[in-house]
Amino acid sequence: MSAFVANGPRSGQSYFDKVWARRTIKELPGASALLFVDRVVLYEILGARATLTIDERFGGRLYDRSRILAVTDHIAPAKDTDSAIQAHTLRKWAKRNDVRMFDIGDGGICHVVVGERGYVVPGSVVCCSDSHTCTLGAFGAIALGVGTTTLTGAMLSEAIVVQKPRIMEVRVTGLLTAPATAKDLALYVANRIGFRGGVGYMLEYTGEAIHALTMDQRLTLCNMAVEAGATSGIIAPDATTYDYLRVAAVEVPADSHFSADSDAYYDAVLVIDANDVAPMISWGTNPGESVPITGSVPIDADRSSLEYMGLAPGEKLHGLEIDQAFIGSCTNSRLSDLRAAAAVLLGRRVQVPTIVTPGSERVRRAAEAEGLHVIFQDAGALWTHATCGACCGLSMGVLAPEMRCASSSNRNFPGRMGEGGRVHLASPEVVAASAILGRLATSADLPALTVAS
Amino acid sequence: MIIEGIVLPIDRANVDTDQIAPSRSLVALDTAGIGAVALTGMPDAEALLKDHDDAVILVARENFGCGSSREHAVWALMARGIKVVIAPSFARIFNENAYNNGLVPVVVPDAEIDGLLHAGVLSIDTEAERITVGDRQIVFALDPLRKTYLAGGFLKFMDEAIPDVRAWEAIHIP
Repeated sequence: MSAFVANGPRSGQSYFDKVWARRTIKELPGASALLFVDRVVLYEILGARATLTIDERFGGRLYDRSRILAVTDHIAPAKDTDSAIQAHTLRKWAKRNDVRMFDIGDGGICHVVVGERGYVVPGSVVCCSDSHTCTLGAFGAIALGVGTTTLTGAMLSEAIVVQKPRIMEVRVTGLLTAPATAKDLALYVANRIGFRGGVGYMLEYTGEAIHALTMDQRLTLCNMAVEAGATSGIIAPDATTYDYLRVAAVEVPADSHFSADSDAYYDAVLVIDANDVAPMISWGTNPGESVPITGSVPIDADRSSLEYMGLAPGEKLHGLEIDQAFIGSCTNSRLSDLRAAAAVLLGRRVQVPTIVTPGSERVRRAAEAEGLHVIFQDAGALWTHATCGACCGLSMGVLAPEMRCASSSNRNFPGRMGEGGRVHLASPEVVAASAILGRLATSADLPALTVAS
Repeated sequence: MIIEGIVLPIDRANVDTDQIAPSRSLVALDTAGIGAVALTGMPDAEALLKDHDDAVILVARENFGCGSSREHAVWALMARGIKVVIAPSFARIFNENAYNNGLVPVVVPDAEIDGLLHAGVLSIDTEAERITVGDRQIVFALDPLRKTYLAGGFLKFMDEAIPDVRAWEAIHIP
């Protein structure tokens, strides 16, 4: 059982509190502070516009170009003249300012690229013009999604104005075990907190189940903090974090090895038993509207969500026919995600159009070195270059009205992947099994493979 | 500033930025004309928008502006003539984007929303932080720091903060 519990007599600092204090330049009115920003990331849509403001209003002035990274990912490569102008604007600006740019063929989804190359370290602050920047809280950083104007301010001054959030401890006890995945835990948390239950909160994930997660799994979990309405998510660094950064050849500042006090105070505490987490599926139009795949649409489900999704209260989700499958996005496009999907698809064929999109070109190369692309292609799936792709409905794999898609992405909003398109969020394993059967399923539903003698 | 006008009532929570500024509005760098797509991603947009063409005040339920960080959501509402959004809560990024652009995000208790949705016309005094609906008044509190950005002062504030940032960095970043 999961439950919100009382905090008890505690007065210590959370991990988040310590990072906040460590990066506070000055306190501001209304419980806000000016925080130092270690890393600014921009991409072509919200970012190109920021570069114009920097050039037009501030004569191109940047606080420290070496702290800025530019990426093309949302519509990459460009699909038409308008998107080409955006990307070209960013590209020209990056070149002129000697800002490191990850362009098509070299980069991928910003949060995947920035994470895998070790650009975010524990105890730091990163901001990026994308709401899923919370992904990078997995490294023990305060990771903030921002709009264009806040981004512009961060490029100009390497600082950000933030209202101090309340802190919710999400304590996950036990161990997450197959068939449950980090994605299922992320959907479970969004469901337990509710789509807007985390508004004004920072989620600090703690507990033995969290520290048993790999970095890829932590990135998946933190990626969906914003889907519970939260400001961001954060996980205190441990041996897993430091090992990952060592492999990425990143020097971690010696003074960034700290954790929450043992008597840390949290404004709210949610305790989850990892053993309760089963493969999840979303039924509605926000990620909190999710249930175990063996479950049904709630009887009291929101009527407008159901109308949009073409579902009825009490309807079974398991077995629901789908029209497309998508494996990718900043939630689930890392090598371990692709391995998990490939393990399900190996030796089988998909029954619906299926798109597999790696999160970065590094991930693509690593997957291809293992032959995963051959497994996807032999299964009849489309293996693409690294991009946000179908997730944001901007450039490829767009859904038609009433088309139903099983997706490993993070948002099932109305129109997200195409006007009228219906998105069911799930893990890569569930999406792969669903693609094979043409209906929502888990790998336990698949017939055993016959081995040719 | 006194803002007075017709209410656009959206009796729904979690109006996300995909609904406020559908993804097709993100493709172009030039956002002129973005007002035409404002709120068109809502399932029942057509009828609602047709009946409230001249609205200047939007009233909605919790978690308004959730989802994507696209500032296009704020630009689209403003281009459509919306000057104030009233809700019991706003998503963090939308809230920042609103203040940074001069769209006034007004937080009122949930219990007030029913009345405001049906008010038809409202008057809002952003300095006195007071809504007038008929002969009733509802007080609200803007963020004490961010309300100074409403007239366009955010980037000036950040620019002027640079000496503080430099001084801090010299001490704290090895």
